[in-house]
Amino acid sequence: MARYVVNRLGQAVLLLFIVSMLGFAILHLAPGGPLSQFALSSQMTQEDLDRITRQLGLDRPLPVQYADWLWRMLRGDWGVSYRDGEPVLKIIGAHLGATFELMATATLIAVVLGCWIGILGAIRRYSIFDQLATVGAMVALSIPTFWFGLIAIYVFSVNLGWLPSGNRHTVGEEGSLLDMLHHLIAPALVLALVETAMWGRFMRSSMLDVINQDYIRTARAKGLPEWRILSQHALRNALLPMITVAGLQFPTLLGGALVTETVFTWPGMGRLFLDSIGYRDYPVVMGILMFSATMVLIGSLIADMLYAVVDPRIRVG
Amino acid sequence: MTAVVATDMVHLTPARAAWQRFRRHRLAMAGAVIIALLVFGSVFGPFLLPFDDKFIDIMHRFAPPLSGAHLLGTDELGRDVLARLMMGGRVSLTIGIIAMVIAMAVGIVIGTFAGFYGGIFGAALMRFVDAVLCFPAIFLLLALAALIEPGIVATTILISVTAWMSVARIVEAQVRALRERDFTAAAIAFGSSNLRIMFKELVPNAMAAIVVAATLNVAKAILLESYVSYLGYGIQPPAASWGNMLNNAQIYMTSAPWLAIAPGVAITLAVTSFNFLGDGLRDALDPRLDIH
Amino acid sequence: MSDETDSVKAVRPAATGPSRRVLMVLGAGAAAGLAAPGTLFAQGARPSTPPDRPRGQIVAALSQEPTAFNPLMPGIEVDQAVWWQLFSTLWYIDAEGNFVPDLAREVPTVANGGLSADGLTWKIKLRSGVTWHDGTAFTAEDVKYSLELINNPNFRVRNRVGHSLVKDITVVSPDEIHWRMETPYSPYLSILSLTFLVPKHVMEKAADPNTSPMNNAPVGTGPFRWGSRTPGDNILLTANTAYHGKGPYVERLIFKYISDLTVLYTQFRTGQVDYTGIQGILPNFVREAKTLRDRTVVVSSTSSVEHIAPNLDFGPLADKTVREALYMAINKKAIIDALNYGLPTPTETFVPQQGWSYQPGLPAHVFDPAKANALLDAAGWARGSDGVRAKGGVRLEFTNSTTSGNAVREQTQQLLMQDWRGIGAAMRIQNMPPAVMWGEFWQQSKFNSALVSVNFMLGADPDVTPRFGSGAIPAKGGRGFNTYQYQNPEADSLLALGARQFDLAERKASYGKLQTIIRNDLAILPLFQGVIAEGMKANLRGFRPNANTSTNCWNIREWYWA
Repeated sequence: MARYVVNRLGQAVLLLFIVSMLGFAILHLAPGGPLSQFALSSQMTQEDLDRITRQLGLDRPLPVQYADWLWRMLRGDWGVSYRDGEPVLKIIGAHLGATFELMATATLIAVVLGCWIGILGAIRRYSIFDQLATVGAMVALSIPTFWFGLIAIYVFSVNLGWLPSGNRHTVGEEGSLLDMLHHLIAPALVLALVETAMWGRFMRSSMLDVINQDYIRTARAKGLPEWRILSQHALRNALLPMITVAGLQFPTLLGGALVTETVFTWPGMGRLFLDSIGYRDYPVVMGILMFSATMVLIGSLIADMLYAVVDPRIRVG
Repeated sequence: MTAVVATDMVHLTPARAAWQRFRRHRLAMAGAVIIALLVFGSVFGPFLLPFDDKFIDIMHRFAPPLSGAHLLGTDELGRDVLARLMMGGRVSLTIGIIAMVIAMAVGIVIGTFAGFYGGIFGAALMRFVDAVLCFPAIFLLLALAALIEPGIVATTILISVTAWMSVARIVEAQVRALRERDFTAAAIAFGSSNLRIMFKELVPNAMAAIVVAATLNVAKAILLESYVSYLGYGIQPPAASWGNMLNNAQIYMTSAPWLAIAPGVAITLAVTSFNFLGDGLRDALDPRLDIH
Repeated sequence: MSDETDSVKAVRPAATGPSRRVLMVLGAGAAAGLAAPGTLFAQGARPSTPPDRPRGQIVAALSQEPTAFNPLMPGIEVDQAVWWQLFSTLWYIDAEGNFVPDLAREVPTVANGGLSADGLTWKIKLRSGVTWHDGTAFTAEDVKYSLELINNPNFRVRNRVGHSLVKDITVVSPDEIHWRMETPYSPYLSILSLTFLVPKHVMEKAADPNTSPMNNAPVGTGPFRWGSRTPGDNILLTANTAYHGKGPYVERLIFKYISDLTVLYTQFRTGQVDYTGIQGILPNFVREAKTLRDRTVVVSSTSSVEHIAPNLDFGPLADKTVREALYMAINKKAIIDALNYGLPTPTETFVPQQGWSYQPGLPAHVFDPAKANALLDAAGWARGSDGVRAKGGVRLEFTNSTTSGNAVREQTQQLLMQDWRGIGAAMRIQNMPPAVMWGEFWQQSKFNSALVSVNFMLGADPDVTPRFGSGAIPAKGGRGFNTYQYQNPEADSLLALGARQFDLAERKASYGKLQTIIRNDLAILPLFQGVIAEGMKANLRGFRPNANTSTNCWNIREWYWA
């Protein structure tokens, strides 16, 4: 196992290197640049733009710029933003808390609710509950998030006045815990809706697969009580594929939910990434790319390891 | 009842048997019918309407549904919403289905190979999947925008590029597990070729998971189309798609809600129907489920 | 629709009233900016006065995030909204178009001896008793340092237009500074009205002026001090009780970033923000916003002109007849009344209609597709079998680009597409995200035509050399921003003349002629002068739109709660 982990970590480092190179090339070769935002300003001429391009070192050959970036990165210097001059790590850190708060809450709701609905639906297949849950999940998965979020705001904030229409705290007040929770309800529920549906679908499908397996039938034939079959045999095996799903979902925990963040004015990673790409803030985009790539690799590694731990039939390596 | 059906099926070809099972799934049938209607409406509807989807009538903008000749009213430029909905359906359904097919094909092939061979080859393939997964969707979007002009083809490729990796991972996990099962060992013992084992034995056995992933993927593809429009890489005006219609309607949500309701309902209907269809297919293609 | 029409009338200045007053010589110490009538914005019937000391807070929503805090470094409109709070200029231009001294004791004129008759020597007397936020006194050394920093080759300054002409800066005393201009350059007065000064003692401490503490903890002489910033969310400023001017009247000022304009309006509706700044309220929400309880909506003109930018080097668009025909086939009334809810005013020129240099009486646009067709027929643009015209192998076919996601502009494009199709011109829409649109595509004139809104003024000065001068075409190695690739020797000489003149009447004549030439050449196809609709809580007083400052946040120092 230890050798496997070391091996995978080695691969991960290599992957990160490739990702960084590809990402850097794509980013710099894509049309547009960090100075586009100034091009319409009546205060800056082409001469100014050219001068600043030079001053930022953006006129150097791409491999040189990449080598420079990589060298700094290896020494732990993630660079500074072109937009606000802050260190990239500090910027990422400032957005991480908001994202984690929202995503963790939504995911927690989704996993608990989704698995419960999925398992129950599988056991009582074609029951009223199952059919309602199925239809509900389908509809939830089909509603565009921004549309649903805006409706939620119109109903609960504009018309009923129960919930704030966005933001993480009341603006201008250092938020109390209650204030924070009050602001968290709407975006977390909107986000959890789709996730619950997704987890429910996967869970139901996985559970159905398992309870039709031979060993469950054997267990039934042996006359074991149904709840024991389900909790000791079926559930354990049905949760296996969920680990893959969880591994795939892990990066989104920190990657943020762009649409929900936009609708609810949530200062998270999704918005930061989109804004940074929009302004072609190269150091920040590269920083987030490397950060999220690391998260993806860790997620994938943990998923594989857990899978190996719970399923003895799988050999790792 | 179960016994009767089972005896019936002895005399049926597998395809007929699957169709029998599928027909019993009422929601799936409903889904199939709705999809057929949507496709029919999108393909033939525009010929039956007296309105051009791109004709602007600035004097009659924001006409509510059923208020005049326009069944679903007119949009912010006085264009017939129904005509745009039908033309938009052509675009969105095409993108959704083709993007799903591409993503599934790539995902299944890579997942199956990786899961079956395992070892260094499998690991390398899966690390490649990991590498692509490392790039957030918006980033891939940016890369593609640099290479192709925005349009239907671009949007389709874009969506499939961001969707195949999760399919590959799910298939790989399934195939890796199935590989260790008795029937695989048996097939190997009988001297079947690897390709035959992979695509005749393993993939069909993983079909349940694949179909669930596929249905979720059409859903994602149709929704992603609206998201891509939102980010400015989507279908260019004046062409309509459900995504850009919904997106444009955003600012008129209180003043002209039908503009958002029409494409919103169309997207929800289509996506839901595909999901039910997938559900039915899943049951139909998995003979073991007949036990119940 | 009547209420919107009324408000436009209200905002439009009473014809030439204020501008006539500005038609005095600069040397006599008068105005040079755009004038907006002042009395219209007294809100509410109940008279109220500012409080004795700062009270309460204002939450101002912005649809873009301010990120650049050193006012000499590159920044956009939204950054300026913050600069106005933290920093001061030597003088500024008020809502009526008058120069008002701020850090200077008086605006230099020939009459008061601040300017030599040839416009080369500038002598500025500074206000004394002004302190930076950290308590250090503001002196002439700070002015000298700021001007020298702008010309420091290692400093990433925003721009040096005008500043590069400044030579021999001498500090005569802590409250007086002199310099010499290399050549006479009248727009400099206007440029200085938007040049915020930075503290020498803070900037000096940084080895590299590009990474000084000013970037994330700016120190200025403005009405508000730097508080804190939550990236991606808000900026908190606190009242500077030692401020040298009027105000501030609120304890705290919070700039809140809300990226989506629909969401921004919703938060204004639910009362979570007190004021909607920069892009304001989308035109389609304006009528509803006016009916909201306890809210005020003010529609005011900006200095930007919405226009179709032709690439004058591109095939069919190089032909003036084509541009004339295209212009004639634009249904401007539909664009303004329907798509923009009647808020903006049609225009024929690049100068805002409130400006002293605005040239009235330019040929008015007429919507006449039949005449446009006849014009093209006569010029030899014959219709092909597909209905698209061509001449000498060049098809009357082009793309039009704007930033994607701007709903009203995309609607305008689609309407243009249909109307132009009617005269045999095939236009295709090719929109892009801003970073792509305004990159090389725009800068190097790679577009066919674009739909844009541009503020052509240099500060508040009509010197458009970087926009229309033949030496300013980046695609041809020029140094300005003439992406239209407009070249006209007569325009060039008028531009050179105007920049050397100090007499306002003479300058007005030069720029008037220039506007006539540009209108006749149709270097741009002007649509309308921009407007912004801003909303605020009804008991917030002191808001005064000012098109000379590029943001109506310019005077938050004078805002207070009634």
